[in-house]
Amino acid sequence: MEVKKMKREKGYTRKNFLKGIVIENPLFVSILGTCPALATTKSIEAAIGMGLLFTIVLICSNMLVSLLRKLIPEEIRTPAYIVIIATFVTIVKMFTNAFLSELYSTLGVFISLIVVNCIVLGRAEAYASKNNVFDSLIDALGMGLGYMLALITMAFFRELLGLGGFTFGKIFQFIPLTTLQIIPKGYEIKMFQTPAGAFIVFGLILAVLAFIKNRKAELKANIEKREKIRKAQEAKEAALKAAVNNGGNK
Amino acid sequence: MSNKKKYIMTSITLGAIASISAVLIALSNLATKDKIAQNEIDRINAGITNIFGKNAVISAQKSINEYGLTIDTSYISTVYTVKNNENTELGLAFRTTGSNSYGKISLLAGFDKTTKTFMKVSLIINEQSFASTLVDNYVNPLNNGDLNISDKPVNVGATRGAELVQKMVLQAQDAALEIWK
Repeated sequence: MEVKKMKREKGYTRKNFLKGIVIENPLFVSILGTCPALATTKSIEAAIGMGLLFTIVLICSNMLVSLLRKLIPEEIRTPAYIVIIATFVTIVKMFTNAFLSELYSTLGVFISLIVVNCIVLGRAEAYASKNNVFDSLIDALGMGLGYMLALITMAFFRELLGLGGFTFGKIFQFIPLTTLQIIPKGYEIKMFQTPAGAFIVFGLILAVLAFIKNRKAELKANIEKREKIRKAQEAKEAALKAAVNNGGNK
Repeated sequence: MSNKKKYIMTSITLGAIASISAVLIALSNLATKDKIAQNEIDRINAGITNIFGKNAVISAQKSINEYGLTIDTSYISTVYTVKNNENTELGLAFRTTGSNSYGKISLLAGFDKTTKTFMKVSLIINEQSFASTLVDNYVNPLNNGDLNISDKPVNVGATRGAELVQKMVLQAQDAALEIWK
């Protein structure tokens, strides 16, 4: 009996990885996981920390869900996924408390809240439960990095505008304490460090992304329109030529 | 598959996942508990230094129950007696822990023995959802002397957390005064 194998689309792994970073970015496109995004983006270091912990939990839970996808009965899918995610969050929390205690103090309750982050449960349900371990790993890596990059983008503006510069080594104490003061002291806008500032930065980023998306669509539509007109003109000219030729022959 | 068999299989699967999770968490706890305990000690020592200065050391540590105080001590767990290098008692530091719907707070509240007044507060655990707002708008001004511990904390952006800190520190203050009476 001939076994037919589904042929994987060429470049699927690359596409699968990149979709989480750009096309399906969990924060800026799907608008998921906004609560920690507003709370943990006061500094780039906190954003990196949150992004890393989130990515680790997402990778581990996606891989385990994918590995057990044929064993977990349909009826207990969601509770089983929650147990798996909660386990990894607890483990990550313990290790952060032990080895990155400053990050643990900074992120506080938001480490535990990864359990209820809809991106993690969403990827387990929508992707890992239907795909193999490798693809689930790539999906989690892309989504995790996409979320982390989105957090860093928000933190960049909030720290720059709210504190006037960037500080490194305060949370990750294994790197030397470095402060880059870009805006002179007294000229920073402290409001960007507050939740209201986070909402404003988030809204502005979404607005810029929507502008870019609409502009791209507009340009694409213009190109298509011009192409259509050109084709119609060519067809018209060809028809005219043919008519002239036919007339000459007669 | 019969319904009975299906229920059994479902229970076994969920039970197995929960058991494996429990084992993983237990192993992680085993691997991290000593380091977490050491971090806690370091945080307390750092807190004592922050409150009483560089030369301060803990000379004695007692449970609040050992003092047999008459006031409510529900937030306080431990009392540290702090001395300097010359063995002179500087004051008392109270380890207090409380929580509200915004999360848990554990702190050290320090009191000067000579003046019998509040000195500073040092946060050990701050799991409030407005953690950094609480520190920036209430704890830091309190430590810098811009705010008084008896001032009603309003409009600090983390009012409930600030109220909890105030209650904990005021309780510690009452305990300190009763101990020194």
